[in-house]
Amino acid sequence: MGALLQVEALSKTFGAVAAVNNLSFQIEPGEVVGIIGPNGAGKTTAVNLISGVLRPSQGRVRFGGEDVTGLRPDRLVRRGLVRTFQATTVYATRTVRENVRRGSFRKRYPGFLHALLETPKQRAWRAESEQHVDRILSWFGLSGHQDTQAAALPYGFQKTLGMAIALAAEPKLILLDEPAAGLSAEEADHVRDTIVRIRESGVTVVVIDHNMRFISNLCDRIVVMHHGEELAAGTPREVLTDPRVIEAYLGKRHVAAQIG
Amino acid sequence: MLNMMLNPIILGQVVVNGLSLSSIYVLVAMGFTLLFGIMRVVNFAHGEFAMLGGFALLFLYGQLKLPFFVAVLLAAAIVAVGGLVLERLVFRWFYQKMFQSMIGLLGLSIALTYSAVLIWDVHARSIPPAFTAILRVGGLILPLDRLVVFGVSIVVLVLFYLLIRHTRMGLAMRATAQDLEIAEVQGINSTRIYQLAFVVAIFMTALAGGLYGQVYSLSPFMGEVPLLKAFIVVILGGMGSIPGAAIGGLILGMSESFLATFFGSAVSNFASFGVVILLLIVRPWGLMGTPE
Amino acid sequence: MIDDTAAGAAVRSGAAALSAPRWALAGLTALVMGVWPLVYPHSFALHIGTLVLLYCIGAASLHLVARMGHISLAHAAFMGIGGYTSVLLVMRLGWPFALSLPAAAGAAALLGLAIGPVLLRLSGKYFVLVTFLFGEIVRMVFSEWRDLTGGSNGIFNIPRPYPLFESPVAYYYLALGAMALCVGLCLRLVRSEIGRTMDALREGEQLTECSGVPVLRIKVTVFVIACAMVGIQGALQSHFVHFISPESFNIFESLNFVVMNVIGGLTNLLGPLLGALFLVLLPELLRDYVNLQRVIYGIILVVVMAFLPGGLVELGRRLRAGGARLLGRGEG
Repeated sequence: MGALLQVEALSKTFGAVAAVNNLSFQIEPGEVVGIIGPNGAGKTTAVNLISGVLRPSQGRVRFGGEDVTGLRPDRLVRRGLVRTFQATTVYATRTVRENVRRGSFRKRYPGFLHALLETPKQRAWRAESEQHVDRILSWFGLSGHQDTQAAALPYGFQKTLGMAIALAAEPKLILLDEPAAGLSAEEADHVRDTIVRIRESGVTVVVIDHNMRFISNLCDRIVVMHHGEELAAGTPREVLTDPRVIEAYLGKRHVAAQIG
Repeated sequence: MLNMMLNPIILGQVVVNGLSLSSIYVLVAMGFTLLFGIMRVVNFAHGEFAMLGGFALLFLYGQLKLPFFVAVLLAAAIVAVGGLVLERLVFRWFYQKMFQSMIGLLGLSIALTYSAVLIWDVHARSIPPAFTAILRVGGLILPLDRLVVFGVSIVVLVLFYLLIRHTRMGLAMRATAQDLEIAEVQGINSTRIYQLAFVVAIFMTALAGGLYGQVYSLSPFMGEVPLLKAFIVVILGGMGSIPGAAIGGLILGMSESFLATFFGSAVSNFASFGVVILLLIVRPWGLMGTPE
Repeated sequence: MIDDTAAGAAVRSGAAALSAPRWALAGLTALVMGVWPLVYPHSFALHIGTLVLLYCIGAASLHLVARMGHISLAHAAFMGIGGYTSVLLVMRLGWPFALSLPAAAGAAALLGLAIGPVLLRLSGKYFVLVTFLFGEIVRMVFSEWRDLTGGSNGIFNIPRPYPLFESPVAYYYLALGAMALCVGLCLRLVRSEIGRTMDALREGEQLTECSGVPVLRIKVTVFVIACAMVGIQGALQSHFVHFISPESFNIFESLNFVVMNVIGGLTNLLGPLLGALFLVLLPELLRDYVNLQRVIYGIILVVVMAFLPGGLVELGRRLRAGGARLLGRGEG
């Protein structure tokens, strides 16, 4: 069984600073993998590299066996790789429904001429994608809010909307960049449940966060990053008891509290 | 051609010309970049203040016959202080609103230009030259007027540097440029700082206009050229960067002098535009700016 | 870029359909535009009317580019490419206008295709600056290439396309037809799925690209279409006024197009059309006071940008809202 996502010796330098250095890991289909590290560890840069927002200085990214290094994000979305953003990124002045509509671009755009001339194919695609949007909205529990302006939503809902926009593109793998950041414990639990449901629906999930508790309660495997490099990898228990991780990241007292 | 280029007499001319051009460009660009760096406005009316400086000098020196150095500084001061009226009426609505400032100040530029036409009519006129002497130093031919332009500019720029780097007001200006909110929290009165920056910027620009008028002719439409040069210098050096404006102005002035002397002004123009476009594509934050 | 919430935080969930009274108004306007020359063929009015129609083409096409968040100060340069292409093909090579017009559109489109992919990568203020300089370079080329373009003196005695179009009424209808086609295309684009994508681009480019939108490709496609359209205006206008020169396509002409968009309103296709009407009429109303008229033009720009960044369309909206409140109070 081939890995869905392979990251090989990925590096990115800005001037003299290596934000990401020689990062390698694989994600199998159906997994929920966490990438964790303190702020400045290079997690978001890694996500930007994998999702095509940044071009790597060195290394390769393979998705579904295909070398996708350096492709722009839209090409990756077409292949089934999407991401969310750390800062809530939604279309603030638009309704929730319009936000999700825009996320489902691939399902509503048969081509420039079709769109311009409003061909029957365009109309068929649009009708079907409206149903798709309905499904996504109800799946995330946003149907009741679909006519609310995105900026008027509470912060937790905005983060959910961000995930809905990404999932509207029907990905095979989703990279969630700090999905629980800034949320209360209750809201974070809700996000956790949503991620479990995403996994159950067949989408592979990679979660990036700095909160060890959140990640270890959620993921099958964890990759720990530090100063742009991989520090350790393994199951949550393995990682939490790894002395290098403890030394670099957690105090001994914290570890005792996390496990068990 | 190569012989001509290596001829010290001609080279000397090119250098002196280049230095005087550079100083005018640096003065204009400095004002422009100050307004952008501190108030985040793109002053499309910048050239018109140079034009007003030129006309003010024409009045003070050409008509009132004040001594040249008094006239040139007083002219710039009058335009700068008088400009405060425009600062309150027009500029202040556009602070920190870059895009709106572009179009709004373009409107101001048009209003100023055609008001000048109404007042002074379209004909070009010239300021009576203050320095016609030509120095001969070791075989080199150095026109005195160019040297005066350079000298006056250097003095003003040094004073400006001292203001920015070694006074509390300069510190306040730099703080406001970096982060308006924090500066205000620290107790800096942004309105006063904006007015100060405005006066300083317009003073330098109007001075440049007067000096420019020494060498070229005055007309209500002459502001277009300084604006274009300011753009180029500021793009070269980095928008909002003071050392950038100095370096950019020097590069532009010297290369223009060189290229225009040997290849004509059309080539010089194409070259500067071309380089700037290339730079904007490859390194838009300029030589001394910071990428966003 | 200009924040379109400044135009009123109206939430629009997709291409808004025109309501019945608006359809009626639009239909009436179209009718008037189509019929008045037959009723009142005053040559001065026809001249102004034709110019307004031609400028609508350029203003609307710039709207397409602006709607994606890019303010181009090079639009007049593409107009010039179209103008010179048609004029030179007709006068030097004897081409019929029926061929030189599409060639004009094609030449402008080609240049847009060549430079678009490079320019449209640039963000906001850098795009403005580069287009400013690019426009100047193109104008300098028009000026310096004397053998081809006649240099800064320009080319005189440009003939009308066919003897038929010597008549001002006939040329008016030619311009009307071209304007209807171009503005119609703009309207279609804006209200299609492409238009939705253009709005998304402007509002959040990174999010849009990460939703699968080929951002650069769409930007370039729309940009090329816009260049072709303003090239058509250039051709039609040069043959209309019988004259072409590099100064017709300088930075102030480009700025004029931007101002038309800004004064009319940036978020709505109606904006540039109103702007074009306003900016062609205003100088004519103050014809005798050319300089004063320009001072007023400048002051109006300052005032509009300072207090009404959403343009005339926003003014209309505010007036209607104020009127509604007044009526509400009256009835209450």
